[in-house]
Amino acid sequence: MLLEVRDLQVEFRTRDGVAKAVNGVSYGVDAGETLAVLGESGSGKSVTAQAVMGILDMPPGRITGGEILFRGKDVLKLKEEERRRIRGAGMAMIFQDALSALNPVLSVGDQLGEMFVVHRGMSKKAARAKAIELMERVRIPGAAQRVGDYPHQFSGGMRQRIMIAMALALEPALIIADEPTTALDVTVQAQVMDLLADLQREYHMGLILITHDLGVVADVADRIAVMYAGKIVESAPVRDIYKAPAHPYTRGLLDSIPRLDQKGQELYAIKGLPPNLMNIPPGCAFHPRCPMAQDVCRTDVPPLYEVSEDRGSACHFWRECLHG
Amino acid sequence: MAEPILEVSGLVKYYPLMRGILFKKQVGAVKAVDGVDFTLAKGETLGIVGESGCGKSTVAKLLCSLERPTAGSIRFKGEDITRLSGRALRAVRRNIQMVFQDPYTSLNPRMTVGDIIGEPYEIHPEAAPKGDRRRRVRELLDVVGLNPEYINRYPHQFSGGQRQRIGIARGLALRPEVIVADEPVSALDVSVQAQVINLLDRLQSEFDLSYVFIAHDLSIVRHISDRVGVMYLGRIVEIGRDAEIYDHPTHPYTQALLSAVPVPDPEAREHRERIILTGDVPSPTNIPSGCRFRTRCWKAQERCTREVPALAVPEEFRRTTGPAAHDSACHFAAEKQVVPPEAPGGHGNGPG
Repeated sequence: MLLEVRDLQVEFRTRDGVAKAVNGVSYGVDAGETLAVLGESGSGKSVTAQAVMGILDMPPGRITGGEILFRGKDVLKLKEEERRRIRGAGMAMIFQDALSALNPVLSVGDQLGEMFVVHRGMSKKAARAKAIELMERVRIPGAAQRVGDYPHQFSGGMRQRIMIAMALALEPALIIADEPTTALDVTVQAQVMDLLADLQREYHMGLILITHDLGVVADVADRIAVMYAGKIVESAPVRDIYKAPAHPYTRGLLDSIPRLDQKGQELYAIKGLPPNLMNIPPGCAFHPRCPMAQDVCRTDVPPLYEVSEDRGSACHFWRECLHG
Repeated sequence: MAEPILEVSGLVKYYPLMRGILFKKQVGAVKAVDGVDFTLAKGETLGIVGESGCGKSTVAKLLCSLERPTAGSIRFKGEDITRLSGRALRAVRRNIQMVFQDPYTSLNPRMTVGDIIGEPYEIHPEAAPKGDRRRRVRELLDVVGLNPEYINRYPHQFSGGQRQRIGIARGLALRPEVIVADEPVSALDVSVQAQVINLLDRLQSEFDLSYVFIAHDLSIVRHISDRVGVMYLGRIVEIGRDAEIYDHPTHPYTQALLSAVPVPDPEAREHRERIILTGDVPSPTNIPSGCRFRTRCWKAQERCTREVPALAVPEEFRRTTGPAAHDSACHFAAEKQVVPPEAPGGHGNGPG
């Protein structure tokens, strides 16, 4: 396995108390595979990714347990210097908001070229040629003319392509894309997702796609991990989960989105609000909002039950949910 | 169709582009809205969809008289409201209220919820006598599903979904007949979006409201709308009943837009045709001649650069009465099904 996260735990120490953002997350990605991590704001999906990349703000963040194995080696035990060599060349990240992730006072050519100067020791001139090549690879029209332009001179979709180019620069084995198309319009979103999928196939990369959009997941993912309150509540091949969810939260999410091909009556709405991470409910964290909750859910934390060989659900009543 | 409550015709809004410090000179214009026509019937929901920069939010501001149009008219119950001022304008504004996109910035953080929801009464004192206002605010909180005891809390003490309920309560305070909602749920989490959409649905029948619902999310717009207008670069390119637009689109832009929406169904991903548009939306300062969509259209021909297509039922569908016979601004309008027909055996509505 290319990347394996085992029982990861992350907390944030704040003035008001300790926020438990990630509470024992485990997942893995193979080369050429796309794992979608689905969750709402505060579910811990981005924090997990930041811990994997080694870009978590510490403090206030703290990794309190678990392992992150990249090609079999626990990166949490590496020195910062070794970690930096993995970042960029081994794994790279694409952020949601390209305009704030790119440096506004450096031309995109300089920013792309910097990767080659720092990591590969190339000359400025050679790095510039590489930058143009990358921009062509992510299909930016007129790459040679635009290499000296600044981020604000590009449209949103083009900026996201530059982010992708930057992530690809050193041909990493793993790409983590954190809501890569959320800020984009649908027609541009389709262009960018297509490009990402093509490049992944071409380079046989592992891809972790972090998103809240069930539609995007259905379009591109192989596997899906649904997160809630810092835990994975369901993990399954993408087809199975849409056909028959094995966790009431997943089921609620699927039922609460309006669909393009259906004109529904009233939408199913998950009652209540996501929990406060400083005060996660005992037992199953989802129980205050769950229509299937019983007494056992208020006291016992559900383990990730094995639903089938490649499928797990953290619900005491996964059988009822699956068949109900 | 029921009697129209809003009639918009030839609506235009240009923002001038100036150059020079001492001697300012107009060098061009951002053509945000460039000839929009539609009607809204009483009790109806009209959805307006389009990508960023298509002018949908400017239309919202014009409808609420927050901006004055460059040309065109907006008739509210037959009266043109674009020429009104002073007292008459205030009276109309009472009847057309707005719900904003971002519940984090549209509520004043220094005001209590009671003051925020009650503020419309300060501007329109005739709407409620002073002694009665607190009671009304409590009622409004209850109507939108918030605890009336929260009247003295501040916005930061609420979640995003609750804040949007506060924004909706404020919109309802003056008992308007029309609500213009500009992306009311796009800042919310999926599980909370459904709650707010259901609330808007319920309020519509409870208070006999007419909605103009502006959003970029096509699935949500279909869910809530009776009719849908698709905007591109300041104009409506196609408008019709929801099934006409979603199941029988005839404008290439609508078809591309619909085909690009990810459908939460992995089975559909193989047998779905995707139309991927090339390039970006042109700048509204420099709109292409003829059909404004032609620079990205795979059907564009020489005629499209010369003639502006009118928003009307296309010639070939004029004699039919089928769902394809609706207004579409394309010289080469043709039906194309891009949303797969409803998959049978979808899972039920809600757990257990």
